[in-house]
Amino acid sequence: MSSAKKITESDLDHVAHLARLNLTDAEKTTFLPQLESVLEYLDKLNTVDTASIDPSFQITPLKNVFRQDVVKNSLTQAESLSSASKTKDGYFVVPATIKK
Amino acid sequence: MDLSLTTISQIRQLLLAKKIKAVDIVKYYLDRIKKYDPQIQSFITVTEKEAKKQAKVIDDKITAGQSLGALAGSVMAVKDIFLTKGIETTAGSKVLKSYFPEYSSTVYQRLVDQDAILIGKTNTDCFAFGVSTENSGYFTTHNPWNLSMVPGGSSGGSAAAEVASLCTFALGTDTGGSIRQPASLCGVTGLKPTYGRNSRYGITSMASSFDCPGSFGHSVEDIAQVLKITAGQDSFDATSSQVKVDDYPALLSSVKLSGLKIGLPKEYFTGSINPEVKQKVLDAAKVYETAGAQIIDVSLPNTDLGIAVYYVLIPCEISANMARYDGIRFGQSRSDAKDLLSYYLQTRGDFMEPELKRRILIGTYALSAGYFDAYYLKAAKVRTLIKNEFIATFKKVDVILAPVSPTPAWPIGQKVNNPLEMYLADVYTCCINVAGLPGLALPCGFDSQNLPVGFQLIGNYFEESKILSAGHQYQELTDFHLQTPKL
Repeated sequence: MSSAKKITESDLDHVAHLARLNLTDAEKTTFLPQLESVLEYLDKLNTVDTASIDPSFQITPLKNVFRQDVVKNSLTQAESLSSASKTKDGYFVVPATIKK
Repeated sequence: MDLSLTTISQIRQLLLAKKIKAVDIVKYYLDRIKKYDPQIQSFITVTEKEAKKQAKVIDDKITAGQSLGALAGSVMAVKDIFLTKGIETTAGSKVLKSYFPEYSSTVYQRLVDQDAILIGKTNTDCFAFGVSTENSGYFTTHNPWNLSMVPGGSSGGSAAAEVASLCTFALGTDTGGSIRQPASLCGVTGLKPTYGRNSRYGITSMASSFDCPGSFGHSVEDIAQVLKITAGQDSFDATSSQVKVDDYPALLSSVKLSGLKIGLPKEYFTGSINPEVKQKVLDAAKVYETAGAQIIDVSLPNTDLGIAVYYVLIPCEISANMARYDGIRFGQSRSDAKDLLSYYLQTRGDFMEPELKRRILIGTYALSAGYFDAYYLKAAKVRTLIKNEFIATFKKVDVILAPVSPTPAWPIGQKVNNPLEMYLADVYTCCINVAGLPGLALPCGFDSQNLPVGFQLIGNYFEESKILSAGHQYQELTDFHLQTPKL
């Protein structure tokens, strides 16, 4: 087994950024060894040969569950906006995505 | 009138016979909640006003001679990850504090349509991520058998409310054991149905290929009543099954115990299992053997990989499902962010509890470029092996009997700083979720500290009738399920 760490601080920064999660320094200090021990545990999966096995991404026999393309009642615009943090004229309001 | 162990059908009979009114039933439970819940803390929200209103509707129906739903008069406690229209739904997390859903979960709605009365939303580990209810963003629930102990999790609030008779029945979800384990730690009956048996619509998604809504009850009989109402295909959930829904209550005596082949998987009785727990579970097998069942030793060699498969796949699915919590359409948010990226980083960073972050990080890591094959794809392949092992075993046995938790309830705070140790609590439950099979947890005794011990009956796909019948007949031969804590 490699003695190199499975997750370094820079790995953690990268992954946290991908997941859009701010982490405080205290959180990073707490999480790093915890994540390390979990990731090490997950190495168990390498003890089994799965070369000829198909993956199960879900465990039902269902595939392509369709319905008729018919408009049905759904939430009203007012209902859909009712839990938003910020709305204006029937829109959800978010900080600017494109800088002028 | 003492309703603490009154069944769903008995309550309905009392209403029809006009021996009690629905408002009195609600008063009975509200009084108990006021008296006992300050110590237990099973509820995040008690829906006193709504329950009284719903009770009056039922009483008016009775007065007008109108027909009553199948669950009329039964009071339900619902895990706070089930959306309940107009009633605060927090998912046990600060992320959804003050979120009032615009629609309801299908499972909840089907029960309301049968005149079940909502008494409150129960505490849960945040978004159901946990095994002890200590990861709730609000407070920890206390095990009614010993208030310094955890109730188990993630549906700990529902399990505790059920055993303390703060409700007639309760709803939970089981993704890796979160109904069966708290049921066993609290000494109540709990069912995880087959994946796809109950609709997941309107329940905050944790791991979409694992989540199973189910219920807690004082008896298998009540769980059968609830399943009959909730089960069945839902057009809002594309993964819900079209397999016919049995009349579960009518089939409770259908299985012949004499000659029933019960498999005991050897991997579930070795390793970390507490000796007292092991003995109580083997005693349960003995009850079946005395009744004429055939106990057959079986082997599920890939059991040891279950936790690893589970804790790769569920964080991966979690990391996708949690992406929606950005505070824009719902949930708390940071209003002072200077741009969109900062807004996402700060909103998610500020309000998400540590366990949410841990699992999102593990999942994002395992799905990221360079790691996908080694983790996610590998785990999905081992999932096939675990599933096939069960399918092969069900060719030799009718049901599988196993422990649920390797230990009884443990002290609050003991494992909070050790996530991996918490994860290992799922060792006997998670393989059933990996395979998507149904599992029924039943009380089977107490350890030397008077803490409950449970066992589970695992059935083949959509064979809920079989495990419910076997479980019901166990409850006719024993009375562990009728024991209640001194509060």
